[in-house]
Amino acid sequence: MAQSQGWLRRYFKAFCKGFFVAVPVAVTFLDRVACVARVEGASMQPSLNPGGSQTSDVVLLNHWKVRNFEVQRGDIVSLVSPKNPEQKIIKRVIALEGDIVRTIGHKNRLVKVPRGHMWVEGDHHGHSFDSNSFGPVSLGLLHAHATHILWPPERWQRLESVLPPERFPIHTSEE
Amino acid sequence: MLRGVLGKTFRLAGYTIQYGCIAHCAFEYVGGVVMCSGPSMEPTIQNSDIVFAENLSRHFYGIQRGDIVIAKSPSDPKSNICKRVIGLEGDKILTTSPSDIFKNCSYVPTGHVWLEGDNLQNSTDSRYYGPIPYGLIRGRIFFKIWPFRDFGFLRDSPNGHRFSDD
Repeated sequence: MAQSQGWLRRYFKAFCKGFFVAVPVAVTFLDRVACVARVEGASMQPSLNPGGSQTSDVVLLNHWKVRNFEVQRGDIVSLVSPKNPEQKIIKRVIALEGDIVRTIGHKNRLVKVPRGHMWVEGDHHGHSFDSNSFGPVSLGLLHAHATHILWPPERWQRLESVLPPERFPIHTSEE
Repeated sequence: MLRGVLGKTFRLAGYTIQYGCIAHCAFEYVGGVVMCSGPSMEPTIQNSDIVFAENLSRHFYGIQRGDIVIAKSPSDPKSNICKRVIGLEGDKILTTSPSDIFKNCSYVPTGHVWLEGDNLQNSTDSRYYGPIPYGLIRGRIFFKIWPFRDFGFLRDSPNGHRFSDD
């Protein structure tokens, strides 16, 4: 009897030790380095979810790349929705601070992106809840940079940081 | 000899990673100690005060009117601001000072909060940059640790008139 009890206690100790090492490391990795997420909705068609609701793409979200809030125009990023903090939205960065954008469906035709903000748009204009609805978003809401599509296997690819030429800001801050 | 040193280095690296991860989880999901700088929250929080901030309210969406919060600055995501929540989404905010004849009100949009410092004369807050998205809030300050004579829970806003009655 004493031997089986000793075995149970040793097992419990090993489990606790492993648990308190594995859980914080896994949580930190998923928060700080990278995680995966399923994309829902049609706002980024045809880049993401071209099949509509039949198959949702699963993307790799890279937190490490945005740890200093450095993004380029054309990156696909995930951010906390400014209208609903419980939701994350995935959009493409069109303009950075200091740029002037020509808007689609916004109350002002031209908008200058303030300091510390960015302008994001979905690729599927008209079916996208993006900066054309809620204006420029603060860089502090940036969550991750979507770098690859992982699922379905026939859609394995690296997501390119491409800015559609018709959406170029009319004035960029580098000029 | 080399294997001993290598073994020790790996063990040290392992412990550093493990404790670093535990620290990240504690700061991100529970809370931590913060030092505040600046005069915008006087007299409640003075310059160089050390306070305790908790992050549970943010994750459970329990931030209320009158809470002192730490948030990422909307114009500089790498720096933090420390202000009091005056209005939640849907609240009516007076954007002109009480001495003006024509009162100008605005409503806080969905998903946003209106922040103001307790030191209204010397605070850059929502009166300057507008309401900020809830997603920028990092945590709630509820306890002061230093200076020792002010040890304890933080007092209510000295600007009670700024809170809307709705």
